[in-house]
Amino acid sequence: MPEGSASTAGATPFLELSGIHKRFAGVHALRGVSTTIEAGQIYHLMGENGSGKSTLIKIISGAQPADEGSILIDGREVTSLTPLGALSAGIETVYQDLSLLPNLTVTENISLSQQLVEAKGRLSSQIDRSRLDATAVKALEAVNLPTDPGFRSLLVEELPIATRQLVAIARAIAVKAKLVIMDEPTSALTKREVDNLIDVVGQLRESGVAVLFVTHKLDESKSIGGHFIILRDGELVKEGDIQDHEKDELSFWMTGRHLDASRYRRADIGAPGLLEVKDLRRRRDFADVSFSLAKGEILGIAGLLDSGRNELARALAGVTPADGGEIRVDGKAVALRQPVDAIDAGIGYVPEDRLSEGLFLEKPISANIVVQILDRIRNRLGMINVGESRKLSEAIAEQLHIVAADLKNPVQSLSGGNQQRVLIGRGLATQPKLFVLHGPTVGVDVGSKDTIFRIIQKLAGEGMGVIIVSDDLPELLQNCDRIMVMRKGRIAETFDAEEVDEDMLYHALASAEPSEAGVAEAGS
Amino acid sequence: MSDFVWTNSTSEDQASMKRIGRWLIRNPPVFTLILIVLVSVTIGAIAPEFWQVSNIFDMARASVVTGLFGLGFLVILAAGGIDLSFTAIAALMMYWITTAVAASAPWMPMPVILVIAALGGTIIGIGNGLLVHYLRAPALIVTIGTSYVIRGFLLTFIGTELFVNIPLPIEEFGKFELWRVQTDTGSIAILPAYVLMLVAAAVVTWWILNRTLMGRAIFAIGGNTSIAERLGYDARKVQVFVFAFSGFLAGIAGMLHVSANRIANPFDLVGTELTVIAAVVLGGARITGGGGSVLGTILGVVLITLVNNVLILAGIPSTWQTFVVGCFIVLAGAVFGTRKSA
Repeated sequence: MPEGSASTAGATPFLELSGIHKRFAGVHALRGVSTTIEAGQIYHLMGENGSGKSTLIKIISGAQPADEGSILIDGREVTSLTPLGALSAGIETVYQDLSLLPNLTVTENISLSQQLVEAKGRLSSQIDRSRLDATAVKALEAVNLPTDPGFRSLLVEELPIATRQLVAIARAIAVKAKLVIMDEPTSALTKREVDNLIDVVGQLRESGVAVLFVTHKLDESKSIGGHFIILRDGELVKEGDIQDHEKDELSFWMTGRHLDASRYRRADIGAPGLLEVKDLRRRRDFADVSFSLAKGEILGIAGLLDSGRNELARALAGVTPADGGEIRVDGKAVALRQPVDAIDAGIGYVPEDRLSEGLFLEKPISANIVVQILDRIRNRLGMINVGESRKLSEAIAEQLHIVAADLKNPVQSLSGGNQQRVLIGRGLATQPKLFVLHGPTVGVDVGSKDTIFRIIQKLAGEGMGVIIVSDDLPELLQNCDRIMVMRKGRIAETFDAEEVDEDMLYHALASAEPSEAGVAEAGS
Repeated sequence: MSDFVWTNSTSEDQASMKRIGRWLIRNPPVFTLILIVLVSVTIGAIAPEFWQVSNIFDMARASVVTGLFGLGFLVILAAGGIDLSFTAIAALMMYWITTAVAASAPWMPMPVILVIAALGGTIIGIGNGLLVHYLRAPALIVTIGTSYVIRGFLLTFIGTELFVNIPLPIEEFGKFELWRVQTDTGSIAILPAYVLMLVAAAVVTWWILNRTLMGRAIFAIGGNTSIAERLGYDARKVQVFVFAFSGFLAGIAGMLHVSANRIANPFDLVGTELTVIAAVVLGGARITGGGGSVLGTILGVVLITLVNNVLILAGIPSTWQTFVVGCFIVLAGAVFGTRKSA
C-alpha cells in the first residue's frame, strides 16, 4: 500500500514495526501500522489529533505495550519494550513538555540520565562529577549551545524555551541515541530558533542518527525534507518522500477532505474606529505602539519571540497592563488594568498557552465556557443559574462545532483542536466587540485549524474586530487584512496582507536582528 | 529574554546591580549570612558581651538539636515533601529509650544508645515514607496524623512524667568536652563534644545530596515527580529514603537533647516544628520542594538560634524574638519569592 517506502537497499533497518495494534477501552487507536525507520534518515509522522500519532510514539519509546504486532530493533525481535529497554536500545524521545527537571542545572539534566541508566537505577551509586561535565560539554557542542561552566551551571528554569528544547535534544544525544523522536519540537519556537534546530537535526542525521518528528507544520516539514508517515484514524494511509508531494495532497491524506489552503479572507471591512491605540507603552516590553482597527477587520501582529508582540497582546487583554498611552474602544477611552477591565470594555482574549494560562483542564467544558461571565448568569441570590449556563454553553459549543459527548466532561478529555475551540468559546461568551487571539492554532491539527479559521472569518463577517497575534505566518496571510510586524518593542512595518508573501514577511521580522542564533542569550 | 534586547537602554550600573541581584537570588545562603552579620554586628555594638567565647559556645550548643531536625527537614523538603512528625519521633525515642535504659541497662554505652535511637527513628520514618507513597496522600496530612499517633503512644503507654534519673553514660556524653576556654573574667567556657554530631550530620547530608545519585534523585523528584519518574528515577525509593533519613536524625536529636539537658521530659521538643521549618526556609530552601542546601540550612539554624538567644543581651525583651523571626521570614519570602520571575 505505501508507495516508495523508505527503504535503502541491503542494510537492516534500525526499527521495523509490523502490524501494530493498540486498543484502549473501546477505542481502536492503532489498526495494524507497519513501517520502518532507517539510520540517518529523517521522518515526519503526521496526522490529525486523535489519529494515533502519540500512541505510536508511546509504543516505540516503550511507554505503552502494543496489543498485537512485532517490533524489530536492528533486526532482532523485541518482545516487550520498556522505557529503560528503549533507552538502552538508543531510542530517545523528546516529549512536548521536554521532560527537563527545572530545578537542576543544564549539566545535570543532560548527563544524569546516562549515569542513572548505567547504574541500572541504583540510587546509592556515587556520581562521577567530571564525567558529568565531559558528557554535557560534548552534547552541548553538538547542538550549538555554549559549553562554558557558567552556562552549564544555569538552572533549566532560567533558560528561554528555545534553549530548553536544545538542552532536551542534547540529553538525547548524550546517551548515544540512534533514533531521536521529537514531539512537536517547534511549536514554541520562532523561525530563527527553528532554523537552528534544523541545523542540529542535519548534524544528527549526518552522524547516522535517525530523527522522527511528530508534527502539524507541513511547511516546516517540507523545508526540512525526508520521509513522511501519515496516520489517519489509527491507520497508516500514506508514506513516502515529502518533497514528491504538494501540501494540499498531504493535508488531504491527513484529513480525508480537501481544505481551502488559499486565503480565507472574503468579508468587507466595516466602520473604522472600533479600536484606537495611541502611543501605548510598557517598560522594557514595547513603546510607541499606535494603530487602529475597524469593525469586521482582521489585523495580524507578527514578530519574533522578543519583539514585544506577546506583551502587547497581553496588555490589550489587561493581563499585563501597559504603563502609558491610550486605548479607545468605540471612541471611549478605557483603562485596562486587569483582565476584567478588558472584558467590560468588550475585548475578548484567547491566551497563547491554553494549558497553563487558559483552561481549567479538569473542570467541565460548560464550566470553562461560562467562567468569565459568571456575573451575567447568576440569579438574585448570587447563585449560578444552571439552566442558563447550560443553554449558553450549548449554543456556543454548537456555534464552534465543539465535538464532545457531553459538555459535563472535563476539558482534558477533548482533543487539542476542540480544547482550543472551548477557549475561543469562552472568549465569545463575553460577547466582545473585538477579539484578541493569541496564537489561536498553536498545537492544533490541520483540520481543526481549518475550522478555527472559518470561525474567525465568520466572526469578522458579523462585524467583530479581530487581532491575531501569531508566529505562524501562513495563518496570518490566510486570515488578515493587514499585518503589523513588530521588532524590538516597536511596530516596524505594516503590510496589506494581499500584497505581501511569507518571504517578505519573514524578512521584515528578522531584519536588523543581531545575527547570532538567539540561543546564546541565556548564557551571556 | 527581553533583558537582552533592552540592555543598551539601561546603564552599566543598573546592569551590574541586576547581576548582583541575580547572583543573590541564585545563592540564597548569602542572604541568610547577611542577616546573621547584621544581627551580630548590631547586638555586638549594643552589648559587647555578645562576642564572649561563652556566648558563642552557648549558641553552638543550642543549635545542635534544631540543626539535626533542620537537615532532616531539608532533605524531605528537597524531595517535595513535608514532615511535621520529626519532633514527635525525637520525643518518643528520647523518653522511651532513656527510661528503658535506666530501668534495665543503665551501663549501656552511649554509642549503642545512639544507634538504637537512630534505628528506631529510621523505622518510624520508613513508615511515614511508605504511607506517603502508597496512600498518595499529601505528606503534610500523613505526618500530622503520624505525629499525633506517635505522641499519643508515648503519653499513653510510655509515660507522662518528667524523668530525671538519667543513666550515667547518657549524662557523661553530654559533659564530654571538645574545648575548654578560660575567659578573662575567670569563668570557664566549655564547648561540648556533641556539637560534632551536627557537623558530622551536615557533612553526611551534603555528601548524600551532592555526591550520590540519590541526592540528585531527591531534587529531581522535588522538581517534578512525573518527569523524574519518566526519566527512570524511583519515586518510592526516594520518598522512603527521605523520611527514613529524617527519622534517623530525629532519633539522634532526641538522645542528644537528653544528654544536653540531663532530664527527659515527654512534653519537650514537640511544638518546635515551626522554628525548624523557619530555619530551613530562612536558609533558602523552597517550601514547594526541589531547592535548598545544607549550608543554607545550617546558616538558617544559626540565625534562628542567634535571634532566640541573644536579643536578650541587647536588652530587647524576649517576647520580641518571635516578632523578629517573623519579620525575617516575611523578608526571606519576599527575597526568595522573586526567584521564579528572575
